[in-house]
Amino acid sequence: MLSELINPYYLQIASFILLNIILGVSIYITLATGQLSLGHAGFMSIGAYTSAILTLNHNVPLVLGIVIAAVFTGLVGVIIGFPALRLHGVYLAIATLGFGEVIRVLFVNWENLTNGAIGIANIPHLGREILTLSKDIGFEPAALGLRNNQFISLAVFLLLLIITIAVIWFFIRQNNSRIGRAYASIKMDEQASEAMGINITYYKILAFGQGALLAGFAGALYAHMTAYISPSDFDYHRAVEILIFAIFGGSEVIWGPIFGAIFLSSLPEVLRSVSEYRFMIYGALIVFMMAFRPQGLIDMNVMNWLKRSKSKKKEGKHGTGSKENQ
Amino acid sequence: MVLEVKKISKNFGGIQALTDVSFSIEQGEVIGLIGPNGAGKTTMFNMITAMFPPSSGEIVFMGKSLSGLKPHEITKLGICRTFQNIRLFSDLTVRENVMVGNHCRLTTGVWQSVFRTKYQKQEEKKVLEKADEILEIVGLLEHSQTTAKNLSYGQQRRLEIARALASEPKLLLLDEPAAGMNEKETNDLFDLIMKIKSLGITVLLIEHDMPLVMRICSRLVVLNFGERIAEGTPDSIQTNKEVIEAYLGVEEEEEELA
Repeated sequence: MLSELINPYYLQIASFILLNIILGVSIYITLATGQLSLGHAGFMSIGAYTSAILTLNHNVPLVLGIVIAAVFTGLVGVIIGFPALRLHGVYLAIATLGFGEVIRVLFVNWENLTNGAIGIANIPHLGREILTLSKDIGFEPAALGLRNNQFISLAVFLLLLIITIAVIWFFIRQNNSRIGRAYASIKMDEQASEAMGINITYYKILAFGQGALLAGFAGALYAHMTAYISPSDFDYHRAVEILIFAIFGGSEVIWGPIFGAIFLSSLPEVLRSVSEYRFMIYGALIVFMMAFRPQGLIDMNVMNWLKRSKSKKKEGKHGTGSKENQ
Repeated sequence: MVLEVKKISKNFGGIQALTDVSFSIEQGEVIGLIGPNGAGKTTMFNMITAMFPPSSGEIVFMGKSLSGLKPHEITKLGICRTFQNIRLFSDLTVRENVMVGNHCRLTTGVWQSVFRTKYQKQEEKKVLEKADEILEIVGLLEHSQTTAKNLSYGQQRRLEIARALASEPKLLLLDEPAAGMNEKETNDLFDLIMKIKSLGITVLLIEHDMPLVMRICSRLVVLNFGERIAEGTPDSIQTNKEVIEAYLGVEEEEEELA
C-alpha cells in the first residue's frame, strides 16, 4: 500500500524544495544583520565542489565530505566577511556578486581539479549510499513493499526534512537570544548598536560565516542529490533565485524566506507550461515587490496577526467550552 | 576622577572641530557641556565614545587611557551615551531595546543560546528582570511590549536613557535629552537625572535648555568654536563675560539673566 502512495518524482521535487528552504534560511541569516549578499551561489558551489572532490577523488566518506565542505565554506565566508564589513547595501551586493562570478570562473578554468565546464559526474548519491548502507545492515526496501528507487527518494526526502527542521530550529533558537537581539539591532542601526556595547565586527562576520556555511552545506547536499555538478549550476541566476526567496517571502522573520522558497520552488511544478519563463517572472516579481511590498509578503505584522488570530481561536474554543460547562 | 579629557583636538579636513579641549569630571557629579550650535559638543561625545578617533590628545577613564579602543569596548568599561537625534532600534519592543543595552554584560554564545543551557536560562532571566527594573526607573514599564517606534517622542527619549542605563555605565553621556520636550516632560527628565545621580552614576550632559542645565549641573564646561572658553559653577558661568558674549550674545538676554 505504501508503494502506491510514494511517487519518486514528487518526492524529488519535495527534496529540492527543502534544499531551497535551507538556502532561503542561509540568505536570511546574512540579511538578519543587514548584509545583502549575492554571493550565496558562489558559497553553494564551494560546498558542492569541495564535497564532490573529496568523496570522489579522495574516498572521504559522504557524511564527512558534506561536513568538511560546510565548515570550509563557512571559513571562506568569514574571510570574505572581513572586507565585506566596509561595504553596505548595494555596494556589498555588487562585491559579493563579483565574488560569486570569480568562484564560478575559477571552477570553469581549474580543469584538472574540477573538469572545467564539463562538470563533475558520478558523485556518490545520497540516496544510493543510504540504500547500500541499509542493505549492508540487512534491511531490504522490499520489506516495506518499496522498489529501490522509491526507497532512495523517500530516504533522501526524510533526511532532508530532518536536516531542514533542525536548521530552522537552530536559527529560531538563536534569534530568541542574546545573539538574535544583537543581529536585529545591528540591522536597524549599526552605530547605535556599537555604542550600546555590541561588537559589530564579530556579529557581522559571524552572520556572514553562518550564511556561507549553510549555503555551502546546501551546496554539498545538492551535489550528492543530483550526482552531477557543473559551474553553470551556480551562476548568477542561482544567486538571484536564492535572493528572491527572501525578497518575495520577506526577510524580517525566518518564516519569510521559508515561505518564499516553498512557494517559488513549487510554482514551476504547478505551472509547467510557463516554467521556461521562470526568470522573466522572477524579474517582474522583484519589480512588483519593490514597488508595493518591499518588506516581502511575510513581515512582523503578518506574524503578529497570525499569532493573534491563533490565540483568538483558542479563546473562542475556551468560550464555547465554558458555555457547555454552564 | 572619573574622566579626564586632555588636550583633545579634532579636525575634519580643514575644519577644526575641537582645539586642545581639556576638562575633568569627578565621581558622582552632573556636569554640563554647553555652547552654541556647532561648538563641538557632540564631537566631544564622539571622541569620548570613540565613534571617531581624536586627531590629538588623550582621554583617560578611571585611570585607563581610551586611546585605540573600539566603541563597544568603551561601553564595556562603563561609558554609555544617548544620541541627539533619537536612534532607537525602532522595530524592537521597548523591553528588547533595553535588553540590547545589557548585551555587553552578558556572555552566552551561539551554542549556549541554541541549546539553552542552564547558565543561559539564568542569564536570560536576569536580563529580563534587569530590563523591567530599568523600565520602572524611567517610567516605561507599562509600555514594555510596545514597539519602540510607536512611543511618543518624550517616551522615546526616556527609552534611549533606559537603553544606555542597561549597559550599567559609571559615566552616562546625555546628548540633548530635553530637546523638543514640553515643560512637563522636561521636569520629568530633571527627576530622572536626579534619580540616575542617586544611583551613583556620573552624568555628562549636553543641553540647550538653560533653566534645566542651571538647576541640575554642579559644574559647567562651555565650548565655543571648538575651544573651551569657560568652566565653573552655573552661577559663575552666568556672570562670565566671555560666555555671555559668545553664547548668549545679544543684550536683551544679558539683561534677562542679570
